[in-house]
Amino acid sequence: MKALALARATFGRWEALLVLLIVAAGAWSTTLSPYFLDTGNLLDLLTPYIAVGLLALGLTFVVIAGEIDISVASTLAVSAVVLARVWDAGANVWVASAAGLAVGTGLGLFNGVLVGLLNLPSLAVTLGTLAAFRGLAFVILGGEPVTGLPEGWSQLGAGYTGPGELVPIALLILLGFALLLGVLLHATRFGRYLYAIGSNREAARFSGLPVSRMRVALFALSGSMAGIAAVVLIGYYGSARADVGNEFLLDVVTAVVLGGVNIFGGSGSIAGVVLAMILIATLRNGMGLANISADTQGIVIGALLLGAIVAGNLSQFARTRWGGRARATGGRGEVPRSEEVAVSSKT
Amino acid sequence: MSARGTQAQALAATAFRLREFGILVALLATGLFFTLRATNFLTGDNLQDIGTNVAIVIVVAVGQTMVILTRNIDLSVGSIVGLTAVITAQTLAHHHGLSLWVAALLAVAVGTACGLANGLLVAVARVPAIIATLATLSIYRGLVFQRAHGVTINQSDLPNGFLDLATRKVLGTPFLLFVAVVVVVLGSAFLHWTSSGRDFYAIGSNPAAARFAGIAVTRRVILALTLSGALAGLGGFMWAARFGTLNAVSASGFEFDVITAAVIGGVNVFGGSGTVLGAVIGALLVGTIANGFTLLRISEFWKITFQGFAIVVAVTIDALVTQRLQEALRRRRRREVAEARAEARESPA
Amino acid sequence: MQVSKRAVIPVLLVLVTVALVAAAQARTEAPAAHGVASKGYKFFLLPKFVGIDPFTQSNQGAQQAAKQLGDTVKYGGPSKPDVGQQIQFINNAVQQRYDAIIISGNDPNALAPALKKAARRGTKVVSFDADVAPTARTIFARPASAQSIGAVEVVELGKQMRYTGQFAILSATPTSSNQNTWIGFMKKELKKPRYKRMKLVKIAYGNDDPTKSTEEAQALLTAYPKLKGIISPTSVGLPAAARVVQQQRKCGKVNITGLGGPNQMRAFVKKGCVKSFALWSFVDLGYLATRAADAVASGRLTGVAGQKFDAGRLGKKTVEPGGIVTTGQPIVFNRKNIDKYHF
Repeated sequence: MKALALARATFGRWEALLVLLIVAAGAWSTTLSPYFLDTGNLLDLLTPYIAVGLLALGLTFVVIAGEIDISVASTLAVSAVVLARVWDAGANVWVASAAGLAVGTGLGLFNGVLVGLLNLPSLAVTLGTLAAFRGLAFVILGGEPVTGLPEGWSQLGAGYTGPGELVPIALLILLGFALLLGVLLHATRFGRYLYAIGSNREAARFSGLPVSRMRVALFALSGSMAGIAAVVLIGYYGSARADVGNEFLLDVVTAVVLGGVNIFGGSGSIAGVVLAMILIATLRNGMGLANISADTQGIVIGALLLGAIVAGNLSQFARTRWGGRARATGGRGEVPRSEEVAVSSKT
Repeated sequence: MSARGTQAQALAATAFRLREFGILVALLATGLFFTLRATNFLTGDNLQDIGTNVAIVIVVAVGQTMVILTRNIDLSVGSIVGLTAVITAQTLAHHHGLSLWVAALLAVAVGTACGLANGLLVAVARVPAIIATLATLSIYRGLVFQRAHGVTINQSDLPNGFLDLATRKVLGTPFLLFVAVVVVVLGSAFLHWTSSGRDFYAIGSNPAAARFAGIAVTRRVILALTLSGALAGLGGFMWAARFGTLNAVSASGFEFDVITAAVIGGVNVFGGSGTVLGAVIGALLVGTIANGFTLLRISEFWKITFQGFAIVVAVTIDALVTQRLQEALRRRRRREVAEARAEARESPA
Repeated sequence: MQVSKRAVIPVLLVLVTVALVAAAQARTEAPAAHGVASKGYKFFLLPKFVGIDPFTQSNQGAQQAAKQLGDTVKYGGPSKPDVGQQIQFINNAVQQRYDAIIISGNDPNALAPALKKAARRGTKVVSFDADVAPTARTIFARPASAQSIGAVEVVELGKQMRYTGQFAILSATPTSSNQNTWIGFMKKELKKPRYKRMKLVKIAYGNDDPTKSTEEAQALLTAYPKLKGIISPTSVGLPAAARVVQQQRKCGKVNITGLGGPNQMRAFVKKGCVKSFALWSFVDLGYLATRAADAVASGRLTGVAGQKFDAGRLGKKTVEPGGIVTTGQPIVFNRKNIDKYHF
């Protein structure tokens, strides 16, 4: 019974819409290019988004709690350059990775303390640390790259396993973390508290939830994910540079909001975020294989998104108007509405 | 109450009550720091540079402030600025004799159309603003690519009269800054004195309550996003005049600067509070930090780091000052209430 | 299933949209995507990003060469300078079995794993404009030697500021490998005794963004009041710096030179605000890179120094050590010759 409820909560209407869109996008891509429907290609769809995906998973937690962390890509950069520097100084891969992860967590903690303990607005704080951390990455590594990382490492980001060496290790890493964080978000007390804080922070505080501590922990979690993303991304690139991940932010935010996570907090799911990434990856891959230019891709993806959401809203409108099967709105997987989110107590 | 409340104190009290007081303190502190430390920071020319540099940010941020007040966001402004800048430049490149007023009107009209589309998507089709404008960010940018066709429009293609706008002065102020000031005054007046403007605050504070109170939420949200588009169009016109080199990637990422200005200036992203003045101070603060650290002769890499941390410090100062002031105000109010009660008790009952 | 019934309308709408777009695309794109009618090779020309003149012109040159050789060149790339997206374009080109990728790299090392994988799967790699890791490509087609590009800018600035005074460099990003290499050669050139009274006071970075470049140029003039010159080795920074100097009415007092296109800089040169600057023909560069790609795809060229190949209207070219071929010398533009060039 509980599992059923969980499934319904996890795979709400929004996720169902994403699944259908993915199927439609896949079908379209198949007609676009004969190269799309190929096991290797399909399995590789998410590989280019491994770092973006890991960052988005971490950010999901922050956004559900009603906060935002836009410094994630810069945190990733600092982790990456520290990791590369430590390795360059002669440490082994494990020590270097641990250093990178520790730095990511530390920077996340820094954000968390400013937001959770000093009560500063998270968007303003992370706008600042976005620049500050990027600067730190340059201070640590300067303008020159670190190259020649060991082959074994690139297995992590760019290697393959399984029958016929077809399954990208990056895909397994991403899905593994999605599963882990999905359980953390949807099946633990930590997760439940998170939704409560995101829905109404004051109410959560009055009911005795450790709100400040949770908020600090969230940013630390987001930082840790940036550290993990750094480890994998360095493997994928086989090198490190201070501007690594410079262009990630928009993709990360897109994955989160398209995944149905309410930007004002209180709702969203890991499944939605993963599905959103698959959708974007499918569309970009299909159109890319048909040599549709990047700017046309942008137009098509934007228009499809809008079309899908508008159509979804229209059908719902039609149902409530004429269908009689009126249903109370506000489920967890509901389309996030811009106006109708009750967050009156938040400032 | 004693009679020590002079006019100056009353004025000070009003200033303290301003939500922008904290960020203003941060701005002044930043200015003081650079005056002491940086070469030629406090010179007329340099301050004019800062003003001109943030002029376009300010114009677009006024529109963004209105959108954020209604608990929405407009991420597409960078693409609208790029689109209108390219369209303005192409039009003027092909019709050298065209009146600049017509060109400006064209830019504003295109911006308005883009903004109206955003407004309809958000308010009528009920697409969450962040998703709607993320999508139109790509779509409008795609249109810029298709318009520009991989070709750059250069200064030599543009009429001199247009390029001169960037250096011309009106009443001793650089023209672009002058435009920004006019937009700020009009924007503030709109939010303060018109019922539509005040509705923005009501909608952002509590959309459901606003609807119950009979506010035309749909129309107001459309208005806010349309105004944002129109001002982005004006920004595009200014952008073309200022830089004179336009291509498909012009102003990409500019939305980031605009939202930064508004957020640092205390416009609440959850809607309902914030002012145009705040966004202006936010833009000036970010512009001053960027300028000042560039004037300090420090390593490029530390410069970026310091700029970021300076923003964090400014936000902290703002929060601390605001907290202190609010506590002081609360305490005084409590004291006043207590005094009033005491007086009431003393009076014959 | 309850869910699918509810979503019937959106799905229908999406499918209709998809079908329409697909039909439209099929009409316009199909011949390019699948039609390998010619017997020649298929190349993918992948710039750092699309939408700016240098790469648009490179594509013109590439198309000229392809037409002569009977090959086809598809031009496409990310809409912003993004390594991640560039990797996706590489993977897509490999998946579509292109014979070679002609690439200008956003990050020489980060692209290497994807390019090496391309080579393993039979797609050859030629770099142009901005090199990638030498182990990840067969040939690098460059416009001119890095030494000559760095030196020419110092030579021109030296003449303009009469070999005395402070000057600064306004570069692209701190990680731009081309700019960093050229700046290295500028410093080498500056060691010559002729420049001993010229002092490089600052290297600033405008991130190839007009706003940031403008602000940095302004700040250079404010922070160094005695500044006599700025070298900007990037086609975004150069016009931005020139415009700042023009706006502050410091033409002649502060000399501007660097790398930029004649169309971009014509107005400044005509008004005497910029005396001279340099660049090369990106049309020729794209032409040479495509010629080289054809030779590489056919196996005639393997990147060994001393190999020769026919570069069409550019004559016979010899591979230099490191697998490099060079188009020529940078062209210096000034008031006298600028009207002969239109790119």
